[in-house]
Amino acid sequence: MNDANLVETHNQEAGEIARLLSYVVLLLASIGLFVSAGAIPPSRFEKLGAGAFPKIVFVGLAVVSGIAIIDAVRKIPRSAYGRFISQTVAWARRRYLVFVCLGALTAYLLAIPVLGFSIASLIFLFVLQVILMPRTVKSIAIAAVIALVFSYGLNWLFAEVFTVFLPRGVI
Amino acid sequence: MADFLSGAAQIFTLVTLIYMLAGSVAGIVAAAIPGFTVTMAIVLTLPLTFTMDPLQGIAVMLSVYVGGYTGGLISAALLGIPGTPSSVATTFDAFPMARNGEPGRALSLGVWASFFGTVISTIVLIFAAPPLALFAVRLGPWEYFSLIVFALTIVASLVGSSAIRGLLAGLIGLAISTVGTDPIMGRPRFDFGIEMLQAGLPFLVVLIGIFAISQLVSEVEDAPNVRSGNKLVTGAIDFQTWKVMKEVLMRPVNLLRSSIVGVLIGALPGAGGSIANLVAYDQAKRASKHPERFGRGEAEGIVASEAGNSATAGGGLIPLIGLGIPGSAVDAILMASLMVHGISVGPRLILDNADLVYGMFIAMIVASFMMLVVSVLSMRLFLRVTDVPKWLIVPVVMTCCVVGTFALNNRVTDLYLLIFIGIAGYTLRALDYSLAPLVLGVILGPIAETNLRRALMTDEDPTLFLTRPISLIFLVAALVSIVWAIWSHLKTQNNIERLPDAPSS
Repeated sequence: MNDANLVETHNQEAGEIARLLSYVVLLLASIGLFVSAGAIPPSRFEKLGAGAFPKIVFVGLAVVSGIAIIDAVRKIPRSAYGRFISQTVAWARRRYLVFVCLGALTAYLLAIPVLGFSIASLIFLFVLQVILMPRTVKSIAIAAVIALVFSYGLNWLFAEVFTVFLPRGVI
Repeated sequence: MADFLSGAAQIFTLVTLIYMLAGSVAGIVAAAIPGFTVTMAIVLTLPLTFTMDPLQGIAVMLSVYVGGYTGGLISAALLGIPGTPSSVATTFDAFPMARNGEPGRALSLGVWASFFGTVISTIVLIFAAPPLALFAVRLGPWEYFSLIVFALTIVASLVGSSAIRGLLAGLIGLAISTVGTDPIMGRPRFDFGIEMLQAGLPFLVVLIGIFAISQLVSEVEDAPNVRSGNKLVTGAIDFQTWKVMKEVLMRPVNLLRSSIVGVLIGALPGAGGSIANLVAYDQAKRASKHPERFGRGEAEGIVASEAGNSATAGGGLIPLIGLGIPGSAVDAILMASLMVHGISVGPRLILDNADLVYGMFIAMIVASFMMLVVSVLSMRLFLRVTDVPKWLIVPVVMTCCVVGTFALNNRVTDLYLLIFIGIAGYTLRALDYSLAPLVLGVILGPIAETNLRRALMTDEDPTLFLTRPISLIFLVAALVSIVWAIWSHLKTQNNIERLPDAPSS
């Protein structure tokens, strides 16, 4: 097996472990929610209460997660667990822009009620474009125009044409 | 005949045709924006029709409706984001086709399939409205529940690379649908005292978060590619209008089957385009000699999904015209529009206002032609999206998603839900879960629960699910569907396992 194949195999094994962890989380969540559904009081007016359908769903989720765990454990070699953390860190480093985008979006959504849609969108659009772009004077100028159009312009369009008023903020 | 001519005379006036053209453009543009649904576009159109004649108003709304079903395919094909719930299945093949360098063909296939789907559904509507409406109303909660069970087995064919993860995604979707007040008694469930969960997770916020946000952030996974200023989609922006029309017409069986599926599902109150596109896609995949090509840019998949969702426009009018029962939210708004003009909707509609009903049929055909003309003329403009670099389009579409999410209910808390669901969606995507079954679970969960509980409230005997013939047919179809899916999955696995040995043999 050459180096490229070995790296690919290690990546696949790390992916399998990550999926195994997701199955475990789903199993635990479904058991917890099944118990929680049991606490929903039954109704006098119907055979099935409000908790019956969720219970059916969570039993299904728990059973399929259990099968998935058994299948995954069977596939993953023991040596792969030792490499998991370093592989995950390397994976996250390769995709750092994803985390930048999600972080920027979170900050933007939290800022909207405070700064208002127009100001928050202007900052979000301009900053994220500048982070993602190959920086030249032309591209920065385009980013500024786009940020202006899709923040104040969109706000104007929704307010004047659709009479939908986007958040105005508190400042 | 006099009523037909009277209806035609009201539609073919210059003013009505201009209004319809504007409605068609508005529907296409609105549905192309992720999070902005056909329903929202129709709601915004409703007040504008108050001053119009009843048929004129309905014709404009039908134009928005037909245009909207087509508009959803634009963002589905070019961005991989379903503009509306009814174009979820369109993303499966239109997006890979656009990514493979054929964005023009992907859009053109969708537009032509939508056009033929609408025309076929209108023809069916004209001939079958009364008998189909009577059949649909005979279905009880047992049949509806069994129908939903059958629809859920479609998950089996949408599972992607892993059957187990596909099933898990479907079950996660069903679990999401149980959050908030229960649909029968209004009892709170799984809100954990958090106010924004009390009303449940709005379906559109889930759709935008799961598909749009996760798709957008996955666009920037390859940092050097983004930084080099690469475009979202590369390839020829040739719309190939006539060539693709022939290509669509060369698939008459798929076109007819998908349109009939759309009409039948559209005729069932409570179902609609969001289910029809998935069922039509599933049926096309099962009937195909090359099911392995589906999901990689297969033309049959685009034709099935778009013909299926567009045909629900005609199908949805069947119970509305025949019985006064709206088949979907959009049909309910159309009904409200008629009532505003003092026209009572019900079995007597076709008797008392035959010119109006015939006018609606003609308006559907005219609207589909307008949609086609507007699409052919404007698609080159839409295809300019392909020239936009990723660094620009990702933040802009994210902002449109935020606006769409907020405009839905005017609630800031929906924005917080969006980010949670977006992160969860990206995590599931990164872990190789198929997202389509999850969306199907969220759509079908409340319908399944309502009908299951309603059936057992009506009669506590559970064997009725098996003894009522139509219910039994749906359950047998569900069983056949599962067995077929397991068999084909095992066959695919065997083929994959055999492949590495092939060179040595």
